[in-house]
Amino acid sequence: MKANAVRDEAVDVWDGRLRLHVKVAGDGPPLVFFHPLAGLAWDPFLDQLAARHTVYAPQHPGTSPGDPRAIDQVQTFWELLLCYEELLRALGLDRPAAVGQSYGGMVAADLAANFPRLFSRLVLLSPAGLWRDDAPIPLMEMVAGPPEDLPKYLFAHPESAAAQAAQAPPADPALIPAAIAQQAWNIGCTTKFAWPIADHGLGRRLHRVAVPTLVAWGRQDALIPVAYAADFGRSIAGSQVEVIDDCGHVLQADQPEALWTVVGKFLAG
Amino acid sequence: MKVSLFEQVPYRYLPAGFEDQYSSAVTPPYHIVDPARVQESLYSAYAELMHGARAGFDGIVTTEHSQSSYDMSPNPTLLAYAVAAAAQAEGLDIAVTILGRSLGKTREPLKIAEEYALLDCVTGGRLIAGFPVGLSYDANLNAALPAIETRERAREHRELILKAWSAREPFPWNGRFEKYGQVNIWPRPIQQPHPPVWIPGTGSPGTMRDILRNDFGFVYLSWDGPKLVGREVFDRYWNLAEEMGRDRNPYRLAFVQVAAVAETDERAEKEYAEHLMALYHGGLGAIPGTAMAVPGYAEPAAIEAMVRAGGPAGMLGRMKTATFKDIVDTQVAIVGSPATVADQIEAFVREYRVGNLLIMLQNGSMPRDLTEKNISLFAEQVLPRLRPIWDDEGWVNHWWPKAQGTARAVAGSAAAAPAGTPREEGRA
Repeated sequence: MKANAVRDEAVDVWDGRLRLHVKVAGDGPPLVFFHPLAGLAWDPFLDQLAARHTVYAPQHPGTSPGDPRAIDQVQTFWELLLCYEELLRALGLDRPAAVGQSYGGMVAADLAANFPRLFSRLVLLSPAGLWRDDAPIPLMEMVAGPPEDLPKYLFAHPESAAAQAAQAPPADPALIPAAIAQQAWNIGCTTKFAWPIADHGLGRRLHRVAVPTLVAWGRQDALIPVAYAADFGRSIAGSQVEVIDDCGHVLQADQPEALWTVVGKFLAG
Repeated sequence: MKVSLFEQVPYRYLPAGFEDQYSSAVTPPYHIVDPARVQESLYSAYAELMHGARAGFDGIVTTEHSQSSYDMSPNPTLLAYAVAAAAQAEGLDIAVTILGRSLGKTREPLKIAEEYALLDCVTGGRLIAGFPVGLSYDANLNAALPAIETRERAREHRELILKAWSAREPFPWNGRFEKYGQVNIWPRPIQQPHPPVWIPGTGSPGTMRDILRNDFGFVYLSWDGPKLVGREVFDRYWNLAEEMGRDRNPYRLAFVQVAAVAETDERAEKEYAEHLMALYHGGLGAIPGTAMAVPGYAEPAAIEAMVRAGGPAGMLGRMKTATFKDIVDTQVAIVGSPATVADQIEAFVREYRVGNLLIMLQNGSMPRDLTEKNISLFAEQVLPRLRPIWDDEGWVNHWWPKAQGTARAVAGSAAAAPAGTPREEGRA
């Protein structure tokens, strides 16, 4: 697949106090991608989406390089949702499709619950946002644990080429310290609204989601157990739940083809 | 100068190889302890601080950590109150420093305001109020507060506590983290508008500026090794002080130093090395580096600088594998005969202009009898050399409590007090 040219768009929201950076690529009907905890990384899955859609991928407040304190402008998760809603209006997007992954899945799902006419379709990739005592989510263990343990939470096949690519440090060793610092800060910014348990009461308002919804999960997810897939499915009327075998938390790394089969079909439908 | 005795409250009987299996913070398994030895460890800390008060230290110091095997002191005001009340009954005139309740960790800042105020009242105005932000593992893992808000919380809490101590009328507080309708704490500190405030820090310029702007005291700890980082940290502090128009009053600077004293250098190593290394290997060295900086706790520039430097400054990142020689060479601990210890402390105190010294004499697995020997030798043979160090420069220690009367007077009839004259010098 040919890589798409990705451009950066800066949009001022929140009464001019917050500048959000959005990566934009592709052509076709609009689609918004909400990235996971560690920040936005443009990967082949986004290229696949951009082959059919104009993909808008906002960077979470505070995660755009050079502007770390932007996170201070957003005090609560509710304010984060309002900032994103303002962003979509400022971009002039009319009922885009939305894809949210993990932390970003929680964001996309709660936006859809708060603003039932904001999106046309919703794709949730192993989303955060719910909690059950019989399936605890080891977020704190992962974030504060040794870096070498990270792959075991994220991938069923940490050694695969896609998983290796997702973990690869910058090729230029001189850039590694800045990359490590940026990733740590990104997680600091997102965990501001997901700590120690990413539960803002989403389960009590998921019934408000009123657009066709696909929930995709890896059966071997070691971060957010697959038990949550059914909870999302039950709470969102008419939603479609797809559990992918031999697959961990980062679906596009472990099972890129299986994932694209269900996502591509759902978005085309 | 003023010299206080500082104790953490470690469990002193960790099994051999503890650090190979476990972390000393957040997740150390409690089932490995013997409850009777927990009681003994807790009581020994109290008894040793009393021993220090009787031996002539100017004050005692306690601090706070939760979910930790190297400091079982989740609320330092409890131990401090016990020592303060007992010392008072004996007519011992000591300052009490809490170093302190963590402001970035607490969910109830007014409890800290109340507890500190109560301590200042019962001691007749002998409290030094320590206001640490708090370690990342304590604030962000134990208390599970978002790392990126730690400093902002601490700032708001400090402002609220200082106002609660001195406001004449009840006031509402509409903060980012705390909301109250009528703040009106009882009691309030005897020392008005507030007891001396000391802020422990790791040496970042931002923290130092904040301290100097507010005329608080800065506390630095020897964990990093004064030989490795002292020059950089203290030069930065005094240069910033000059830049901000503050004087060079040495009492602006407090320093925490681990020390161990025996009759000779050889004997000191023989008696103390094993117990000290239990602290460095099984205590500080067994805190995972990732728990000291949960993502969001430190700014990207600070993380990037640390990664470039290959780890945290000084010894802290290397504690787990440090040798006794590493520890003494870098002065993480100063160990030896009274002359050796006094020489080394006096040299860096003069060089870096330290006015308030906090000495840690119990560490790791050190038993009570050995600790009390350490305390006695330090008080008899090291302390007299340190106390007059800044007298010739004539500075006033504005960062020391302004006590009301003597401890004996506060204790009323003092009928139970043993013979002996309470020290009253230096209560400026």
